[in-house]
Amino acid sequence: MFDLFSDIFTYRDNALTRIDPRAKLLIALAALIAVVTAERIVLPLAVFTFCLGAVAILRIPAKLVACRLAAPLSIVAVLVVIQTFVTGKTPLFAFTFAGWQFTAKAEGFHQGTLLGAHVLGAVSVVFLLSIVTPAHRIFQALRWFRISRNWLEIAILMYRYIFVLMDRVADLAAAQKLRLGYTARGRALRSFTTLAGATIIHSLEQAQRTHDAMRLRGYRGVMPFGPLPAVSGRDRRILALCLIAIAAARLLEWGVSG
Amino acid sequence: MKAIEVTGVHFTYDDGTEALSGIDFHVSEGEFVAVLGSNGSGKTTLINLLVGLLKAQAGQIRICGRAIGELSTDELYQRVGLVFQNPNDQLFAATVEEDVAFGPRNLNLPEAEVQERVTEALAAVSALPLRGRAIHHLSFGEQKRVSLAGVMAMRPSVLILDEPTAGLDPAGEAQMMQLLKKLNREEGLTVILATHSVDMLPLFANRIYVLDHGRVLQEGPAEEIFCHQEMIVRAKLRLPYVSRLMYEMKRHDGVPIDGLPLTIGEARVQLLELIPKELIIAELEEKKA
Repeated sequence: MFDLFSDIFTYRDNALTRIDPRAKLLIALAALIAVVTAERIVLPLAVFTFCLGAVAILRIPAKLVACRLAAPLSIVAVLVVIQTFVTGKTPLFAFTFAGWQFTAKAEGFHQGTLLGAHVLGAVSVVFLLSIVTPAHRIFQALRWFRISRNWLEIAILMYRYIFVLMDRVADLAAAQKLRLGYTARGRALRSFTTLAGATIIHSLEQAQRTHDAMRLRGYRGVMPFGPLPAVSGRDRRILALCLIAIAAARLLEWGVSG
Repeated sequence: MKAIEVTGVHFTYDDGTEALSGIDFHVSEGEFVAVLGSNGSGKTTLINLLVGLLKAQAGQIRICGRAIGELSTDELYQRVGLVFQNPNDQLFAATVEEDVAFGPRNLNLPEAEVQERVTEALAAVSALPLRGRAIHHLSFGEQKRVSLAGVMAMRPSVLILDEPTAGLDPAGEAQMMQLLKKLNREEGLTVILATHSVDMLPLFANRIYVLDHGRVLQEGPAEEIFCHQEMIVRAKLRLPYVSRLMYEMKRHDGVPIDGLPLTIGEARVQLLELIPKELIIAELEEKKA
């Protein structure tokens, strides 16, 4: 749970963390569009491999990678299985389980793997971005792109207080555990619902106190954002190169598909 | 000139709890004043009234000579700053720099001045190396100092702190109190401290207000406050540990102690006066031998 939100790697100094967040956002956006619109699995899987390669070079622990990719990988598995057995006409193989006849179909399998590749490619792009850019830099860059202040303000506060609430929830859960709150299934369910309720109450109280603190420092409904320096020439060149590479890959894939 | 003047202030919460009943509270510019009281004595309500988070139902509050109602929020928050007990309530930005810059940016200052204030505030609390760090990567003590810097960046003339040493280890507690002393003595800030921790107050506070059930029980310098044993007990407080030890020695063992020392330094001087010098010298010589 804590690994899922860990951001310590974004504060490391490396070639990717040094790139301007606006450039990284644009590159990520272009990669996402290319992946999502791909008509074959090669481009999304190439992006996935590239991103995982970059993550490996940056020496991000495998545990963190597995933790972050566990949910999308499960989605991919479910997608491939459902599509394979539900969609299409051409049978690949068949088997019987508990009296039910299951037939895998070629069209469904292709459709499923393509969708799965889209998910893997897109998630790996976002994962890489999140591992090389601190959240506050992403928010600053988004503001620079004129994304609504209100949305960003909510996102900033959510990001900040996720860690506070997680600490609090961990303490509450430990306190429940120490008093045998999770020893039986029914008791565990009751403890969990109590924990959820307490978290909501804590969140509301925290929101009130934070709002008071913000008011005392001049907050009038608009959160100020710090300026970003101009994008350096080096980062402009990196941005241009990456955009050209992504566009070329997409066009190449288009040509092959066509 | 008075930095804070509270006269006959009443405040009752919606549930009927009378938090303050006709309280008088005055702080001069450059003073270091402690508001001492047990839980539920009215300390936090008083603080919230002083910074305008609550409105007095009767009585008057004047900040730097002007009625609190006459001041705009910008004016008020540049005069009075509040440091919350829990830094998590106050630190809402992702990084230290962003958080400390929040107040100055809300004042629409030019970015150069914002950065100048951030540097100055972080330097004042010895937190400059933390500037680029994420808030959630800081230790509790560091968070406390950064939350203080966030308020300092507004350049208030009165600094109010709600339990500034709560949750800190002994070294962190001493460091925080020394920092507040420095801000008060060197930067000339008026400091108001709400606390129920009594041990360090005699070293720092010029005056102490003791609150109980929304009333001022006693007001004065530490030596005057802590000689009223009954009042201290009534307010559910205690003497500083060193004073308690000396008091017990005086009461039970008849040790002739003059007055009641409030600090280790004072106690040491008094005890040394009572021990014959020859005894100490003999002991030292024995050790040498």
